[in-house]
Amino acid sequence: MTHRCRDTRRWRAGAATSHLLVGVCLLGTVLWGANAGVAAGSGKGTLTVAMDVAFTGPTAIDGIAEAAGCYPAVRVINQSGGVLGHKIACSVVDTRGDPSDAIPATQKMLATTSTLVGVLGPESGTATAVVPLITKAHLPMISQDGLSLFDHTTNRYFWRNYPADDVGGVALAYWAHHEGLNRAALFFDNSVAAQSSVPGLLRTYKHLGGKVLLNLKVSPDSTSYGSEVHKVLQSKAQVVFTETDPQTDATALKNLIEQGNLIPIYGTNATVIPTWLRDVTKAIGKADMSKYYRGVEPYAPTYPATKIFNKALLASAKQVATTKTWIGQEYATTPFDGVIMLALAMTEAHTTNPAVFNKDILSVTAPGKGKKVVYSYAAGVKALKSGKKIQYIGASGPTLFNKWHNAFGEFGVYRYVNGNLKLAGVISAAQLTKAESGAG
Amino acid sequence: MQTLALYAGFGLVTASILCIGAIGFTMQFGISNLFNLAFGATMTAAAYMTYLCNAAGLDIWVALLLGSVGGAVLSYIVNRGLYSPFRRRTPSLFAMIMVTLGVGLIIQYGIEAIWGATDLSYTMSTGRSLHLAGMVLTTVQAIVIAIAVGAAVTVHSLLRYTRVGKAMRAVAVNERLARNCGIPVRLVVDGAWLLSGALAGVAGVVLVMDVQVLNSNSGSDFFILIVAAAVLGGIGSPYGAMLGSLVIGLVAEVSAGFLNPEFKDVTSFVILVVVLLLRPTGVIGSVASAKEVAR
Repeated sequence: MTHRCRDTRRWRAGAATSHLLVGVCLLGTVLWGANAGVAAGSGKGTLTVAMDVAFTGPTAIDGIAEAAGCYPAVRVINQSGGVLGHKIACSVVDTRGDPSDAIPATQKMLATTSTLVGVLGPESGTATAVVPLITKAHLPMISQDGLSLFDHTTNRYFWRNYPADDVGGVALAYWAHHEGLNRAALFFDNSVAAQSSVPGLLRTYKHLGGKVLLNLKVSPDSTSYGSEVHKVLQSKAQVVFTETDPQTDATALKNLIEQGNLIPIYGTNATVIPTWLRDVTKAIGKADMSKYYRGVEPYAPTYPATKIFNKALLASAKQVATTKTWIGQEYATTPFDGVIMLALAMTEAHTTNPAVFNKDILSVTAPGKGKKVVYSYAAGVKALKSGKKIQYIGASGPTLFNKWHNAFGEFGVYRYVNGNLKLAGVISAAQLTKAESGAG
Repeated sequence: MQTLALYAGFGLVTASILCIGAIGFTMQFGISNLFNLAFGATMTAAAYMTYLCNAAGLDIWVALLLGSVGGAVLSYIVNRGLYSPFRRRTPSLFAMIMVTLGVGLIIQYGIEAIWGATDLSYTMSTGRSLHLAGMVLTTVQAIVIAIAVGAAVTVHSLLRYTRVGKAMRAVAVNERLARNCGIPVRLVVDGAWLLSGALAGVAGVVLVMDVQVLNSNSGSDFFILIVAAAVLGGIGSPYGAMLGSLVIGLVAEVSAGFLNPEFKDVTSFVILVVVLLLRPTGVIGSVASAKEVAR
């Protein structure tokens, strides 16, 4: 009997705890809801921009690049008084570049961060899995992913201020043709990110009269690519188009040298990153790197905002690894601009509610008659407060979103000489469009 | 035919790295009956130790020796400090596998926490290209093959012709019986872990020397092939590991050359599955099967 009584008491205590928990949850939900729609200028709480990309694992470089953009941006914003009285901060959501890790990490972020106002990311490897989750939460995402899948998206919360990978493929084909290299072999790894460059490359190269002799899709990080490289040499290709992780290309190009011949190597923007350049240079040597390598990536000359970015970046050395390597780099300037756009959109809409200010991202970046062109967050806020409409031209240049929320401009072609990237040429957006359509 | 020889040459290099690792891995299993999933992380740790020595100005070959010593010491400590106490408390094979998985992740993420998610490489020259019987190898690759042959011969001689080797074989077949016969089982197990750890270290370092890039995933990425080679040959059998490595390495490269390179690893694993269907204990599954008999 005593035993039963004790059990009953325990059940009652359990029921009371459950009721209390439900109550707390409801209260939390109400408070969260209130916070999500926090009125302008309430001056309470720090707003959060989540970097929803890989910070560990094989594509951890994505996270370092996002951090190199996000931390300088929040520094600039907070130094200019924050957003509508709120401070703003970056938070890390490590996806490891893998959907199976990205989904729980993103769900946790959405469930536990009530002050979220936007997301930087996701990246190519996780975008298809993560975009629906962020969309459901009505959060704007400023992505630098390369998937052509989002070229014509109608998702109103998805914004991409970096060209899709297939545009990079188009640029590669255009430049090889421009240099008179019309027989090519492709050496791409089998990742989603790398393969998304291939269709645009194949289509454009064919349009321009080029011939693809070999299209190799390799598993990354093997101990040898001797057999694959032998095939490339046998095909008598004049140029190798490539996109793999640094280790794979370092091994493969070392194998190419061992078999006696290097040929021009043209890489997508995934090769114009410090780790790839360093690893491959180590494998093939500075002289051959300078002679044979060309890489393409979105090109932006130095704008007034680029100087603001560079200064804030150098001041963010504590949060950003290998700080100096990101100076003026598009991989870092585009997330930097992304955070500034979010902040300006909030200022224009007079709210930190993401579902409301999302549409203002287009408004603060698009050109227009009577709009004041601004190059900094502080200038943007000042103009908006005086009742003017603005066009923000950021560290990566003008961000001209099309109707599918995609923005891209010129491409630069780079050489790598003595540890420095040197501009070898510029491909305009018009040339890219013509080349892809076969009119180039 | 010349093309086949060329591809076989590339496969031989992969097989050699596999062989060094697979012998170490299979010895650990043979002696301790432990499927050590932290083996790949031990390879990585040894490769980082070598990097430190190399970056401090030591020649890569001297640094390799120190890396192998580091691998041996790490393996010894992990076995003595973690696996043995766990095994005494939890004899369950599954629980032990989870413990080794945990140890592997601790080492891997520990390395990443210290060095960051960045690639490193050794300061070394790969030497000139050698043309041997239709194969094209660098001097370093030729040395790696020689190291693998040396490791195989040493392990064979140790097991076959020395008292320690006989003791190891006895412990591998039946630990309790070996102890009753007066064999100092603990010492023999320690020796086996030191040796296999040293082999893990050498495998990790020559892997990085070959691919030119070192990061916290280096050993773990390669580990699955080591397991495949060990299982194909017959888990627990050093000779099986040698044979398995040769098959996996050659098949991967030759298939990449003549078929679609995307199926490089697929072909190797198809062969592994077919062999295991026909011979569940692997090609030379003596120790594993002997253990079953002993039970």
